[in-house]
Amino acid sequence: MRLFHVSKSYAAGQFALRDVCLDFRRGEFTLLSGPSGAGKTTLLRLIFAAERASEGQILVLGRNASRLGAAAIPSLRRRVGVIFQDFKLLPSRTVEENVALALEVVGTPRREVRARVFAILKQVGLQDRRFHHPLSLSGGEQQRVAIARALINEPDILLADEPTGNLDEELSVEIMNLIAAATERGTTVIVATHDSAILERYGVRQVRLENGRVVADGKLAGAEGRA
Amino acid sequence: MIRSLARSLSLIRSARRGLASSPVASGVAVVTIAISLVLVGSFALLASNMRSLLDDFGDALRVAAYLDMGVPAKDYERLADLARSVEGVESVEVVSPELAMARFRAGVGRGGALLEGLSENPLPASLEITLAPAQRSAEGLAVVVESLEGLRGIQDLGSGQQWVEGYLRALALVRGVGWGLAAILGLAALLIVSNTIRLAMLSRRDELELLSLVGASRTFVGAPLLLEGGLCGAAGGVLALLALYLLFQVVVPGFEFGLEFFLGGLQPHFFSARECLALVSAGVVVGGLGSLSALASERFA
Repeated sequence: MRLFHVSKSYAAGQFALRDVCLDFRRGEFTLLSGPSGAGKTTLLRLIFAAERASEGQILVLGRNASRLGAAAIPSLRRRVGVIFQDFKLLPSRTVEENVALALEVVGTPRREVRARVFAILKQVGLQDRRFHHPLSLSGGEQQRVAIARALINEPDILLADEPTGNLDEELSVEIMNLIAAATERGTTVIVATHDSAILERYGVRQVRLENGRVVADGKLAGAEGRA
Repeated sequence: MIRSLARSLSLIRSARRGLASSPVASGVAVVTIAISLVLVGSFALLASNMRSLLDDFGDALRVAAYLDMGVPAKDYERLADLARSVEGVESVEVVSPELAMARFRAGVGRGGALLEGLSENPLPASLEITLAPAQRSAEGLAVVVESLEGLRGIQDLGSGQQWVEGYLRALALVRGVGWGLAAILGLAALLIVSNTIRLAMLSRRDELELLSLVGASRTFVGAPLLLEGGLCGAAGGVLALLALYLLFQVVVPGFEFGLEFFLGGLQPHFFSARECLALVSAGVVVGGLGSLSALASERFA
C-alpha cells in the first residue's frame, strides 16, 4: 500500500492532510499517532475509500483508491477490515448477526457463515455471548465484536481508528494484542491512536502526524516486541 | 449458484426485517396502494364488461342490404354474389319479399291480423350479410358498409354501426376516466411508497451505512428496499382484489338497473385470472417504482 503526495482539504486552504507519502509493507504493523485533528482518521478513511483525496494517489491492493468508481469501492472494502472507535454495531442484531454482516454481503452460505462466525468469536473469547445484543455487552466486549467483524473476511488490510479510546489499560492491551495478531496471517495493520501507553508499549513502526503532515516515521523501541 | 441462493435468501430476510421494523409506515403504503387500485380497478372492471358486450354483439353483427323495389327476383342472386365478393363478408343470405313478410308475421304474433288488409307486400327483398370474424368491429363494419353502398340495386343499408360507434365512445370515456384516475392515484401511491421507503432508510441509516462500509454493493443495499416496495405493492394489489370481489358480490346486485344501461342484458363478470394478475402486478410496479424513486433520491455511505 502506497500513498504518493496525498493531500485532503475540505475547504480552500484548509488541509486535513498535506503532501503525505507513505509505504506500508505486507504484514506490517504500524501505529499512526498524533494529536486530535492531526489527520489520522482522514488518512484511514482515504484508504478504505470513504473519502477521496484532493491530490495525490493512493495505491491499495493494486488499485488507485483515490480514483475508484462507486461500483469498484465495495470490492476494495471487502479486502479491508475496519475497526471504528464507536464500534458501529447494530443494537437490534445479535453479536452473531453483527459479525455475520461482513460475510453476508459477499453471499457466503448461511451454514458457512455460522461456522466462521463461531470460530472468530471463539478467537476473541465471545463464543458464549453470540446470541446477546451489543448493548448488553461491556465496552471491551463490544470492541472485540467489532474486531471479529473486521477480521472475519481475513482482510489484506486492517485499519483501526482509536480502538482503545474508551477502554482501560488492561483491556486496551488485550484489544491491541488481538489486532496485532492479524499480522501473523500477513494482514497489514494500521492503528490510529493517541494513547501514549500503547505507543510506548509496542516496538513497531510509528508514523506521527501533526497538522496533516508526517513529522516522524520510524520504528521505536517498545516494552513488547510483538508484530 | 449456492452463493446466489444465499444472497437471495439474505435479501428476502433483510426485506422482511425492514417491513417488520416499520409496520405502520408499511401498512399505510399497502392501504394507499389498495385504495388506488380499487378505484382504478372499478373502472377497469366496468370497461372489461363493456368490452365483453361489444364482443358478444360483434358475433351477431350483420348488415341488411335492402334492395330497390324494382330489382327483379332473378337478379337477387347476382347481387348476392357481388356482396360476397366484398372483402370482409363471410356469407350472404337472400331474403325475398315473401320470406321477409313471413318473418315479419312471425315476429308480430297476434298483431299479424292487421297485415291481412294489405293489398300487396310492401317489404323489399334484402341481403343478410354476415361479416368475417376479423371484420366484426366498428371499423370493420364501416369498411364493409362503405363497400356495399356503391353497389347498384341496393337502396338502403341497415347495420348497428351508429349504435356500436356510440357505445365505443362511452367505452372510451370509461377507459379515459380509468386511465386518468390510474395516473393521478398511481402517482399519489408512488409518492407515499417512496416516502415510506425513505423513512425506512432514515430509520435504518446506521445499518445501511455499515453495510456499505463492510463492502456491500449498492445493489445489495438497495435490493431489499426495492423488494419491500414490491411486497407492499403486491399486498396492496391482493387487498384491492379482495375488496373489488367483495364489492362485486355485494354491491353489484343492488345496481342492476344502472348496469343494464351500460351492459344491456349481459351478465356482469369479474376479472379473469389474467386480469387479477395484472392488477396485483400493477401494485408491484407502483411499489417498486416508489422504492426506486426513494433509492435514487437518497445517498448512503
